[in-house]
Amino acid sequence: MNPEKFKHIDDNELLHYFYNDKNNEWLGILLQRYTLLLLGVCMKYLKNEEEAKDGVQQVFLKVISELHKYKVDYFKSWLYMVAKNHCLMKLRNKGQYFKEINEQILSTPDETANESFYIEKDVSLNNMETALQQLNKEQRDCVTLFYLQKKSYHEITEMTGYNLLQVKSHIQNGKRNLKIMLQQMQQK
Amino acid sequence: MSDNLKDILSNSNKDIDNQKLMDYLHQQLSKADSHEIEKSMSDDAFVNDAVEGLQNFDTKKDMQAYVTDLHNDLQKQLLKKKKRKDKRKLKEQPWIYLAIVVILTLLILCFIVIRKHLGF
Repeated sequence: MNPEKFKHIDDNELLHYFYNDKNNEWLGILLQRYTLLLLGVCMKYLKNEEEAKDGVQQVFLKVISELHKYKVDYFKSWLYMVAKNHCLMKLRNKGQYFKEINEQILSTPDETANESFYIEKDVSLNNMETALQQLNKEQRDCVTLFYLQKKSYHEITEMTGYNLLQVKSHIQNGKRNLKIMLQQMQQK
Repeated sequence: MSDNLKDILSNSNKDIDNQKLMDYLHQQLSKADSHEIEKSMSDDAFVNDAVEGLQNFDTKKDMQAYVTDLHNDLQKQLLKKKKRKDKRKLKEQPWIYLAIVVILTLLILCFIVIRKHLGF
């Protein structure tokens, strides 16, 4: 099967076909979509190109042999958790990292990691502006430059003097704090 | 401006094209496209981890070669699995073998009978 031919079919539909007829070719198309991302994730944790490649192969095998056992709703999130857990387990075996990994994590991945936070349409933009003002300066600057002025990470590092990691962290934390503040405002 | 404010907490969950990701890694994208990738990174830990990992590869060529190898291996694995499945199916259905033996026996018997009748 040529994956290009199935470009118009989304992950959920392919997953549905797989659960219906248990034909692994559907799984092949799905997995090929994520090879590059998986290679990146394995490289991030294992820090070695060959080990990263082996890691992706192991993840593929795991998915091929295990996916039919579980009812997965969000393939991308599940796949990410399988890959991440595989890498952490490898590091743990090497003594570089310790993390309790159990069957439950594998079968029901933490969907929240990738879960969208959809703002309800009636959320007042005023609330958002108020919340934005309540962030600390670093987070406010980075969130404003990134989301409102559409600046890239690189541009933000040049404009603010923060390094790349700091910029990413300020954006992430700022976003999380905004979400918390908006939820609190909605509850009031 | 108000649309941009909404962008902060919205999550497009838009899938990124692999080629676009490669172009981003090699700084060949426009500012708008780069921002789109970075927005996906901030929305999605999978994309963020992947980009951070891919940035550690020595060359673009290596990355492409690894992806091609992985796709080939995956196809081999799937084919192997399919063959095993087909084999298992046959094992699980012994009546197929029985039917073949019966048909072959009947054919041989027919051949012998016809041969006798025709006096060869």
